[in-house]
Amino acid sequence: MSHPMHTTTSGNSRRDFLKVSALAGGGLLLSSQWSVLAVERDHTQAVQREPASWVTSWVRITPDNVVTLVVSQAEMGQGISTTLPALLADELGADWTRVKLQTAPFDKAYRNPRLNWMFTGNSESIQSFYDHLRKMGASAREMLVAAAAARWKVQPERCRAQNSHIILEGTGRKVSFGAVAAEAASLPPPAAPKIKSDGELALIGKSLARVDVPPKVDGSAKFGIDFQLPGMLLAAVRTAPSVGGTVKPYDSKVALARPGVKAVLPIPGGVAVVADTWWRARSALQAMQLEFNPGPNAGLDHGALMTQYQAALDQGPFAAAVNEGDALSEIQKHGSVVTRDYQNPFAAHATMEPMNCAAHVTADRCEIWAPTQGQELALMSLKSALGLKDEQIFVNRSDYLGGGFGRRLLPDFVVQAALISRGVGAPVKVIWDREEDIRRDSFRPATMVKLSAVLGIDGLPTALAARVVSPTILLPIFPALQKMINDSGIDPSAMEGMKEIPYRFANRRVDFHLLKTPVQTSVMRTTGYGPNIFALESFIDELAAQARQDPLAYRLKLLAHDPRAVAVLERAASLARWSDPLGKGYGRGVAFAFAFGTYLAQIVDVEVVGSDVKVRRAVSVVDCGRVLDPGIAAAGIEGGVVFGLAYCKAEITFKAGAAVEDNLNRYSLPYLAETPRLVTEFIVSGGALGGVGEVSPVALPPALANAIHSATGRRIRALPLSRNGLQLV
Amino acid sequence: MVALNVNGQQHEIEIEPEAPLLWAIREQLALTGTKFGCGVAACGACTVHLDGQAARSCSVSVAAAVGRQITTIEGLAPNRSHPLQQAWIAEQVPQCGYCQSGMIMAAAALLAVVPQPNEEQIAQAMTNICRCGTYQRVRLAIQRAARQHLEQGK
Repeated sequence: MSHPMHTTTSGNSRRDFLKVSALAGGGLLLSSQWSVLAVERDHTQAVQREPASWVTSWVRITPDNVVTLVVSQAEMGQGISTTLPALLADELGADWTRVKLQTAPFDKAYRNPRLNWMFTGNSESIQSFYDHLRKMGASAREMLVAAAAARWKVQPERCRAQNSHIILEGTGRKVSFGAVAAEAASLPPPAAPKIKSDGELALIGKSLARVDVPPKVDGSAKFGIDFQLPGMLLAAVRTAPSVGGTVKPYDSKVALARPGVKAVLPIPGGVAVVADTWWRARSALQAMQLEFNPGPNAGLDHGALMTQYQAALDQGPFAAAVNEGDALSEIQKHGSVVTRDYQNPFAAHATMEPMNCAAHVTADRCEIWAPTQGQELALMSLKSALGLKDEQIFVNRSDYLGGGFGRRLLPDFVVQAALISRGVGAPVKVIWDREEDIRRDSFRPATMVKLSAVLGIDGLPTALAARVVSPTILLPIFPALQKMINDSGIDPSAMEGMKEIPYRFANRRVDFHLLKTPVQTSVMRTTGYGPNIFALESFIDELAAQARQDPLAYRLKLLAHDPRAVAVLERAASLARWSDPLGKGYGRGVAFAFAFGTYLAQIVDVEVVGSDVKVRRAVSVVDCGRVLDPGIAAAGIEGGVVFGLAYCKAEITFKAGAAVEDNLNRYSLPYLAETPRLVTEFIVSGGALGGVGEVSPVALPPALANAIHSATGRRIRALPLSRNGLQLV
Repeated sequence: MVALNVNGQQHEIEIEPEAPLLWAIREQLALTGTKFGCGVAACGACTVHLDGQAARSCSVSVAAAVGRQITTIEGLAPNRSHPLQQAWIAEQVPQCGYCQSGMIMAAAALLAVVPQPNEEQIAQAMTNICRCGTYQRVRLAIQRAARQHLEQGK
């Protein structure tokens, strides 16, 4: 099987050019807003910077007909390093099996065009880059065609691009991209390049072999933790387990006396030990037997947190996020109101690759190599932490991230590595052990949600009122939103899945309380959609039961105005044989989600024996508009079911200010044995493109909770399942 | 100095005997396909073979590995030719990929003992954690490799 090669070169630059310019060796450069002058550096030689020898932005073509495409988005398992370059190659007419891929450094050219910010997250890489990259590919193709046509003295309409060549129709004449790239580069980029029709596309819509699979089956894929620099030292860190704690006085000599140890440095809240190997650094750190002051949050524990949440849920104050009709008076004047409370737990990202970062910082320069989703926030944070200027800071992303799930949008581990490197005056790679990784996580916030509804005579809700209590999600990754969130009292992400919903009610009210807690919280796969849709889809099921209606038919009635919603539900029902009778102890539950621009219906079958919950099957039917790569998209949905199961199985609790479940033997993620049979299907509606990275774990928890109710008659209103005396088997 | 036999080669390395085998493999031998995940043998990202049996190398000391045949993902088979590696590619198993070296090593140790595992045996043996949730494709890939083994045996 032939694959594009993903090379480990990276470049960096602050110099912007306005339009196409020629490569030093003769070649084509094409950029959207900015072209960039890049510096070629192999990771292994990164310290010795070479002067600029070539230019790049999205498409680079050299005279030897090597087409290099830039991978702007972080590959963390979602397959983006295959799908986006394939999009570019398809428009360009490049030979996919021979293109080279290059990981983008931080540069304006690679910003998300919708948000003008360089990051990977929010399930939006495809949504944001789809039109952009097709245009980039089409522009380059038209310039190459124009150059070939000029050489042949024919009309460009007679030429087409295929397999990295320009072909003159009806003549058998052809010329390689590389041979005309320099001429193409001298032409003005087309103002309105023509995008190919669907019939002309060779790659988009097909299941391609992922470019990252071969190196991931033989151990050769390089993650951040595998990164090496000449003369690099390794650091292990330990900070106070409790939030805001401090380290008690310690004796550095204990560590310094051990083999290989180079330095012991204070860091905020703790200590870093730097040595010639990581294991020596870590064992020296352990030998120090550090003790900690718990700090101002010693009283933070599960019970205190739940009391705080409950008080906020009962008493507010609230900011109104939605106020349509008059839901509150409808609810007050009716005798038969259904009211239920739902709880979601704190959850840790627990990426399989712990946080790590290599940094080399000198008095006037900082370069970092990190498995990061957030290059631009890392750059800004380094700037303020180090007092350096933009042009003195170089942010490189590792080719592969061992999971991300939102955790790697945060710059904390990057800044820490830079400060340690500056402190020891050498290149240093900092690796967090798992305990540090979990304790210093910014968790998916626990939430409490209260939902109330009035049912009309047809059993359908005429009024819905929601109260949501959640700490912030967005602030840590978008500090610029601080004023907006503080002024409004509303974190927009914490409202996802509750504010704008596909269901329609004559009267609807959504109130939000932004909970202040010392627990660090941030974005995690599903963002606000997960907790809110767990509550809403569980509640819809309860309303259907109250109205003595089938939960699927009930949803179909409520969503009758939305054909895409109806289509995914009906197809899922058909695949899952919704109406087939269930044996004793078996249950079947449905949940619907519209999240990240994608429609999803999920139907879960369970078997419950005593406290044991065996998930037998999960059927997912997805409409994300069009499916750019069915195989990769299905993998995201499948994996998302397991990620959703984790929200049902594992939780982070606090005691004396610290996370209790601080390693993977206590934070209990799902195993293969607990994974149901997964059936996944896509509906190609042609609607607006949606993301598929996060929607599946949104729907799974309520679908499972509803299935458990179907099997046992018990409602699951708080996750994880252990709160209900249940466990996955 | 400690003598370790890794992937069929004898290595003399300078390391404390109590150091975990994982870090000797990653730092002294620069074989970085074996991953650090938890340090407490809970996740299996560091799985290697000791005399053909799966072992979580974060919790095996270098001293305990002396005199044994250590196999890492890099030494499993040349050019990704192991039936499991081929099956992994055919089923497009990996997502982020970080756990996959350990996952493949655990599966290889299973097939060496149970060439035709049923679903229950796969579930019992495969206790590595994959945060991306690739488990269904892991199951399919193991079954595919087992099938291939059966067909080749005919």
